[in-house]
Amino acid sequence: MAVDKNMRILVIDDFQTMRRIIINLLRQLGFANVTEADDGTTGWERLEADKIDLVISDWNMPQMTGLELLQKVRASEQYKTIPFIMVTAEGKRENVITAVQSGVNNYIVKPFNAATLKEKLVKVIGDF
Amino acid sequence: MTDQDQMAAAMATGAQAPEENSLQNSMDAIANSNEEMIPRAQVEELITLVKDVFGGHTASVNNNDLFAEIGELAKFINGAKKDLNTAKTGQIADQDIPDASNQLDAIVKMTEAATGKIMDECERMQSVQAMLRERLLSIEPPIDPDAMAGIDDSLNDMNTSITFVYEACNFQDVTGQRIQKVVKALTEIERQVLRMVVVFGLAQKEESLDEETKAELMEDVDLLNGPQLEGQGLDQDDIDDLLNTLL
Repeated sequence: MAVDKNMRILVIDDFQTMRRIIINLLRQLGFANVTEADDGTTGWERLEADKIDLVISDWNMPQMTGLELLQKVRASEQYKTIPFIMVTAEGKRENVITAVQSGVNNYIVKPFNAATLKEKLVKVIGDF
Repeated sequence: MTDQDQMAAAMATGAQAPEENSLQNSMDAIANSNEEMIPRAQVEELITLVKDVFGGHTASVNNNDLFAEIGELAKFINGAKKDLNTAKTGQIADQDIPDASNQLDAIVKMTEAATGKIMDECERMQSVQAMLRERLLSIEPPIDPDAMAGIDDSLNDMNTSITFVYEACNFQDVTGQRIQKVVKALTEIERQVLRMVVVFGLAQKEESLDEETKAELMEDVDLLNGPQLEGQGLDQDDIDDLLNTLL
């Protein structure tokens, strides 16, 4: 099935710079329908307020971390199937294992480039 | 009953032999002394008293060896005392470490602002590039398709370069997070140094502070735990008050 490039993507990171980088790289890849949040709590609010097709979230954030959000998403009946990509500076093996066990669809270690982002997106939503 | 049994029994009941009283007095005298170096005679007396307490069990230990060991220990303690004075622990905890943390915070803010500016310009370049393409396509008569394809390739190259600039801006997030780790480590050092200042300060002001004040001070130091949220833990004024109480 062809990927809908108009899919709604939620980008969550407490660093505004990082959100801008991800949003711009997504735009370069043809995905312009993007919304953003600065931590897990506001990310959850965006999920509830908007129809989100894909979540790209940082791990380390104040209030609610990306991992906590992932666990909350997977535990909810409504959003449990939403594709979820974790983006983090922590490349520790145990973190990756925890994220996978919590139901993450893919895991990107910072710093990353557009090619890596595309590769992970293809794995999660299909080729485009 | 063997000697060891007698010693164990004495220790268990808390009873002290006369030799132990003398040893305690001698140790107290050294502890209360303001002298930088402990006189040799006093150390020798201490060794003799230690030997008496152990009832000759140390007979196999050479006096000179023991003296050398205790001498080294005394030198170490003396050196540590001097280091503590010259290091100005209060200044390190109160000024130097917070200053270093502030400098690092400033670096994060400056790189964040600079990265924001770089990305603003990248976005502007992308919109200029899109506008340029539209204008070229709207020229009448139309540009030769082969020539336009060449221009398009160049415009795409430019776009790829802009993408690389975005990618390079990743550094701000990664360095920012690493600097935050350093700030966290500095805060932990600050807490440890401050704790040391409080412990030494309390030892020096043992008589002038009541138990409740001492307990409060130690609790205050334990609150210095990593970067704190606004309104929580101690602020700089609290830390200054704490240091003023002790130094």
